[in-house]
Amino acid sequence: MLYLFYLLAAVSILSAVTVVAARSPITSVIALIVCFLSIAGHYILLNAQFLAMVHVIVYTGAILILMLFVIMLLNMNQLVEQRKPLLVRIAAVATGGLFFLVLLAATHQGLSVAPAHFDAGIGLVHTIGTVLFRDYLVPFEVSSVLFLAAMAGAMVLAKKDGTEHVNLPPSSEPGQNA
Amino acid sequence: MSALVLISVLGVAVLYLGIFGRKVILAPVAIIGLLAAIALLASGWHIHHPLLEGMLRFDRLATGFGIGMAAITVLVFLFGPDYYARKEWHVAEQYALMLFSLVGGLLMASYTNLLMLFLGYEVLSIPLYVLAGGKKRSLRSSEASLKYFLLGSFATAFMLMGIALLYSLTGSFDTGKLAAYMAAHAAPNMMLNFGLLFVVLGLAFKAGIVPFHFWKPDVYQGAPTLVTTFMATVVLMAAIAGFYRFIDATGMPHALATVLALLVLATLLVGNVIALRQTNFKRLMAYSSISHSGFLLLALLTDTGFAEGHGAAVGGTLLYYTFTYSLATTGLFILFTIAKRANQGAEHNGIFKGLWHAQPWLALCALALLLSLAGIPLTAGFIAKYQVFLLAIGAGWLKVMLFGVLMALLGIYYYIMVARELFAPAEQPVTFAVAPLNWAVVTLCTLAVLALGVWPHLPGL
Repeated sequence: MLYLFYLLAAVSILSAVTVVAARSPITSVIALIVCFLSIAGHYILLNAQFLAMVHVIVYTGAILILMLFVIMLLNMNQLVEQRKPLLVRIAAVATGGLFFLVLLAATHQGLSVAPAHFDAGIGLVHTIGTVLFRDYLVPFEVSSVLFLAAMAGAMVLAKKDGTEHVNLPPSSEPGQNA
Repeated sequence: MSALVLISVLGVAVLYLGIFGRKVILAPVAIIGLLAAIALLASGWHIHHPLLEGMLRFDRLATGFGIGMAAITVLVFLFGPDYYARKEWHVAEQYALMLFSLVGGLLMASYTNLLMLFLGYEVLSIPLYVLAGGKKRSLRSSEASLKYFLLGSFATAFMLMGIALLYSLTGSFDTGKLAAYMAAHAAPNMMLNFGLLFVVLGLAFKAGIVPFHFWKPDVYQGAPTLVTTFMATVVLMAAIAGFYRFIDATGMPHALATVLALLVLATLLVGNVIALRQTNFKRLMAYSSISHSGFLLLALLTDTGFAEGHGAAVGGTLLYYTFTYSLATTGLFILFTIAKRANQGAEHNGIFKGLWHAQPWLALCALALLLSLAGIPLTAGFIAKYQVFLLAIGAGWLKVMLFGVLMALLGIYYYIMVARELFAPAEQPVTFAVAPLNWAVVTLCTLAVLALGVWPHLPGL
């Protein structure tokens, strides 16, 4: 178990360093996938099955594949070293440093959990399912209305509606109505 | 609860009708469904479903706001067939998105759980971001959509941060538990205050309280007029209902009451003073809406510092105020559309010129609606403002109240400016084409505003 943890930790750190250090964006994204998968492994070690699955599905499955698509569609796979303005770089370093400071402040007194009070089954699918479908059933159902509205809205925005080839000057504001 | 389900399903049904049916039947189906939902709401305000325990509570206030919002949506939909007569694409989606938005409004009027507040806020907002961009060819409409989306997401993030802070204190999303925690810990608490403040910021954004009002004129101007009508009426009602529930449940510590009082002063000042200089009617209505938000916030302010359930009178006043304001606004935006069509799409205040000579009855209606917004006696707007001032005196906010009276007097000026245009002769002859349904809705709004102004207790509030 402990060796597995060291193995996963090593993989996570190495792949995370690769994400930042790699020159090609494709390499970065693939290293990020490896990093996320190894973090999902950590979750399983911590007995959090549900979190591990959601992590893989949402981050690795959806977001990173989307990023890959963007990179491929924008044809960004050349080795281009982008020069960011100095101000942006300073801001990035300051933000990262602040985040590190917050983490340090949060953990410097030690994050200890009393094993007697800790429910090891808290991350199991069964436990989360019970909470989600009993205590939080109404919010769960309402969020389906939210997603439905968002999908319908995305369709309205994205679909061709037969008017967009009529290039009228925007100032005249003819509109389909009044 | 059944009304919530009905309206959600109705939205889906309208989406399907858009695929299979003709657009003529969309509005009638939606209106019949909404009337059924109103009947369900009116008949079932005692029903407590066990699943809703700790999430939603359909008490008198939530039911009243629910019926009000659904009724105004019906009026907006009655305006729909004429407004969308020349639009061929995505008409069903427009209706469906407004129905989904209404579901969010109902949630915001009935939540007892901050999680439901957040979900209601999002269900209310996300369709609006799309609806504001309804005129794809218009740059202004796209600007409105993008601006509303970015600023709205920012406000949502603030509110979520506030909810997270409150959760970290109480370990629960329940507003009752939050109130119990506040009662048990009376000492000033930075984390609690910031949590409450951030939630208030999110709600204030949606209601258009200064300094979170910058989106309002641009979005009102850019969005299609029907959507602007929906935003100015139903969304304002939902935001105020959600605001009231939050303040009534928590009571607000003293420090935050002072912040709210400052917001009232700023909103009344900015809304009324900037409205004086508006020449575009939609922007004028946006600033008028901001100033009305200020009066509504003054009423909310009188509910601070008390335990839950104190503010039944405040809730009734807010419902009366927002409902009558919505009636007047709906009628005016319909008249605006009629005048805009008659003037080749111009939007300045002068488009109302000649209405008295062409359509005397509609000009009288417009005058009554404007006077109601201004708060002249014998209209509902006067009773609404009067009740707000009475509440403010009763709660001891005398100076804020006096400032409110001053700003109400100032506000009369710009409504009269528009009213003067109604009776001015037009430079060249204009013909106002009025659809019978629009005429009926405007008449209905006017009669309702006048009736509620003469008999304020008519709906049994």
